[in-house]
Amino acid sequence: MVQFKNICLLMLTLALVSLVFTGNACAKDRFNESIQEGDGYQINTIVIDVAEVFVSADSCVFIVYDEGNEIENKMISSDQTITFTAEGETIEVTLLSVSEGILPQATVSITITHDDDDVYLKQEVKGGHEKATYPGTPSLEITKEVSSYTVDQGEVVTIKVTARNKGDGKATEVRFSDPKPTGFILQEILLEETGQMTIDKYETRTIFLYKLQANEAGTFEFQPTRASYSNEADMDFPEAVSNIPVITVTDTGKNARKVAELEFSTSIESSSVKRNDEVEVVINIKNQGDSSANGVVLNIHLPEEVEYKGSNSNIEIINGMPKAYLETFGLNQEKEIKFVIKPTELGTYTITTDYSYQYEDGVSPDRQEVTGEFTTSTIDVARGDLDSVIEQPWYVIAIPLLIIVAIAGWIFHRSRQYRF
Amino acid sequence: MLNILIVGNGQCGNRILDAINKEAFGGKSKFAKFYSQQKYKSKVETIAINTAINDLKELSFTKAKDRIHIPHLHGVGANRTLGKSVFEDNKSHIMRNIEERGNFDVGFVITSASGGTGSSFTPPLIKEIKEKHDFPVYAVVVLPFREEGTLYLQNAAFCLKEIRDSGVDGIILADNQFLKQIGGNVQSAYNTINDMIARRILFLLDALDSEMMMVTDLGDFKTVMSGGAGLATIGFYEAEKGMNIKTTIQKALSPNGLLFSTDVYKEGSRAMVIIKGDKSYLSIDEISSEVEKLSSSVGHVFKGIIVRKGEAPQVLVVLTLEAAEELENLYSVAVDAIHQEREKKTRIEEQKEIDKAFSKIDGLEPNY
Repeated sequence: MVQFKNICLLMLTLALVSLVFTGNACAKDRFNESIQEGDGYQINTIVIDVAEVFVSADSCVFIVYDEGNEIENKMISSDQTITFTAEGETIEVTLLSVSEGILPQATVSITITHDDDDVYLKQEVKGGHEKATYPGTPSLEITKEVSSYTVDQGEVVTIKVTARNKGDGKATEVRFSDPKPTGFILQEILLEETGQMTIDKYETRTIFLYKLQANEAGTFEFQPTRASYSNEADMDFPEAVSNIPVITVTDTGKNARKVAELEFSTSIESSSVKRNDEVEVVINIKNQGDSSANGVVLNIHLPEEVEYKGSNSNIEIINGMPKAYLETFGLNQEKEIKFVIKPTELGTYTITTDYSYQYEDGVSPDRQEVTGEFTTSTIDVARGDLDSVIEQPWYVIAIPLLIIVAIAGWIFHRSRQYRF
Repeated sequence: MLNILIVGNGQCGNRILDAINKEAFGGKSKFAKFYSQQKYKSKVETIAINTAINDLKELSFTKAKDRIHIPHLHGVGANRTLGKSVFEDNKSHIMRNIEERGNFDVGFVITSASGGTGSSFTPPLIKEIKEKHDFPVYAVVVLPFREEGTLYLQNAAFCLKEIRDSGVDGIILADNQFLKQIGGNVQSAYNTINDMIARRILFLLDALDSEMMMVTDLGDFKTVMSGGAGLATIGFYEAEKGMNIKTTIQKALSPNGLLFSTDVYKEGSRAMVIIKGDKSYLSIDEISSEVEKLSSSVGHVFKGIIVRKGEAPQVLVVLTLEAAEELENLYSVAVDAIHQEREKKTRIEEQKEIDKAFSKIDGLEPNY
């Protein structure tokens, strides 16, 4: 029975301790300061002036200002407290004692109850609120303008993003993000302010200026441009968000189904080569359709007797097969993919490449996929210059080599003998 | 097989030694050493000695191990007194190098009489060899052009005398003044003279160690070299197409064939005639008549015949001299040269008197 009581007591104690820690969502800052008459204490934009100290009466007059505006004026004796609310925080000022000096002074305890690390400035201010300075509050307003809200498919629109600091403090550590809309192709960037920057109060700055080509018909809601920023006291402010332009792109093809039509052609540096010679092969790709292609994949099938030697294009070897991958392939875009091969055996060869890509036809909800293959012209591989030597029995090569090595050795030996 | 030592002293000696080594390869090509072997009949050891390292570096056919550099700046500058001092300082090193090569049956020391290292090293070197070994040593001495200057002439005079006094077994003379008749520029003349001397010495070495139809050997050579005044020269001629052996012998004894200007029939003391060639050329009657003609003037003539199939006749004559008029001429010129040098030295001494006169105002300043 006694044990049960002890267990209950222990559980109750643990519950109370956990309540103490979990329930303390609000933090408290406490400052103990001795402040001379006429001076004040600043917490963010709040200044608590010690206006008058009456040592004989063991009391003191406190006047509280928020950005210069008086919000509290009270005389209290020792151990009395003034409580007031500013910037959503509760501030308690307790007079601990008063004392004589060149100027009389008051020892006060100041307690702030707040949710976060909102106190970015706390300091004694000589001269009181009249001498206090405030970091200011920046406020960014982002405007995203488009040159036209209704365009034809294929037409180009200009996007301009400006930011204005309409607050009374400098915006620091400003970072912009501006996602590009779908259905448009970026044509040209005229201006792009990237990286961290500062914007002075009341300053207006152009951040982005670029051109987009309307690629697909429809109504497109642009994603807003966003900016994070702080003030000079490193206080973070809520993210600024631009307006959301909406552009309507009209279908000039009268709702015709669009197609991405990639045309592949190949050329070979020389159609007649010698064995072990290197040959450059070029694949030309052109989009002849009226829609851009995505995910273009080329798998180059080389015969066993042909080695892949390298490329200056984006060809990777995956599972022993050369492959090229193009993320997007726009309207009328052209591209050359070059690679070098080395035939190692005599014969006549062709190189077959299978391809696949996808596109949106503007009508169907799903992407369309195209696959196919194309083949190069033939490459005739003839005997190489050294073939007649290589085909000889080993001793036909080894014996002259040995003789040459022996002669070279002898000449070296003789040179050493006669070098002084 | 004979063991033969050949030492080339100084720039001239080095170059003749290199020419002998080149000739031994049997080819004229500078690449002969890469594809050929030296064709010495005997076991021949060659050593090139010099104080000037650049002269040793110039050699192409003498092995590096056979080149001894005696470090002394870049030579002794034709100063024999300095040269002899340098030899004394390095004597043990040189002799050790010779002795490491074993025993010899005969030695030759080749040098210019007029230069620095060669003319000053050769007399004491021969003396050292003779004191420590009992094989005969012969000096092959090249005399200078008479217009080469007073220093070279006086060097030649003293060098030749010191070689004679060194205990040498004989001196074979080659005279640049006499050989300059071959013409060409200085460099090609020197090269041609070096090649001529080299070819004769190689022929001689070949003959001393060959099986002959009629034998001359090292003993005969010693006997020939011991005759006369200890001076000798060599005549050589290789027959041109269609030339008989009689004419070839006569050409070898003529000024065109000799290395030193002499009247063979007046100044000769003993001779050795070695004839080499295809037997079809070697008419005994012609050979005998020419040898008899020579022996009637000089006394004894050793005769050797080497039959070499298909080869044109070549004749080498080693001739010791009783007298050498040309050598007397050389010494007359050399004495004049010595006087000239002495006068020059006196003038320089007088110059020193002038220096004394100048030194009287040392430390004084002019007053105005």
